[in-house]
Amino acid sequence: MSFREKTAWVTLCAIVIVTLMYWFHIGSLFEPHSPGRVAHSLGASLVAFLLIELVAYFVLRLRNPEDAGEPKDERERLIDLKAMRIAYYVFVVCALLGIFVALHVVNAGAGAVATTVMLAYMAAEVVRHSARIVFYRRGV
Amino acid sequence: MAPTPITNTIRQLRFQHGEMTQQELGKRVGVTRQTLNAIEAGKYSPSLEVAFRIAKVFGVRVDEVFHFGPEK
Repeated sequence: MSFREKTAWVTLCAIVIVTLMYWFHIGSLFEPHSPGRVAHSLGASLVAFLLIELVAYFVLRLRNPEDAGEPKDERERLIDLKAMRIAYYVFVVCALLGIFVALHVVNAGAGAVATTVMLAYMAAEVVRHSARIVFYRRGV
Repeated sequence: MAPTPITNTIRQLRFQHGEMTQQELGKRVGVTRQTLNAIEAGKYSPSLEVAFRIAKVFGVRVDEVFHFGPEK
């Protein structure tokens, strides 16, 4: 497994763990939350994500010093672009659907809309890194 | 992913050139070992530039390295 495929796995796991932690902490999507609680949860999630990423990245770099130092080649850039394209569609569809549901189905407030967009972003990131792993494994 | 219709003789050429490793060829061409492995296995079609670089390393023409197979 290449260094970049390993980093894709690490980022995917970090996103899933941190997102689950966030939702566990914040509770239901459409419940009204105090801005302080949301900001605290967001901040804690961001710090947890950065910590997981940094520690894992340095461990991987120590274990694969040669691979880590190499710049991305054309295949790796193509994989990143294709994964990004798929994730873009996921983000747009999820965000629009989420906003529609939040505003017109459950009549939630602006906070829920913002949370929905963030959820769409998380889903898109999960899809992006999953797609990268698939392309690394099965070819692009 | 469906394999590309482009086949290649990189593996044979590597062995004809002192059993050159994928790592060494990749370094000389400017791609990673994993990318070279994907090219050899027909999982990735390289750009024209990389194809020319590979041919140059072996001192042969591009069409001696890559062949376009029958389209399905």
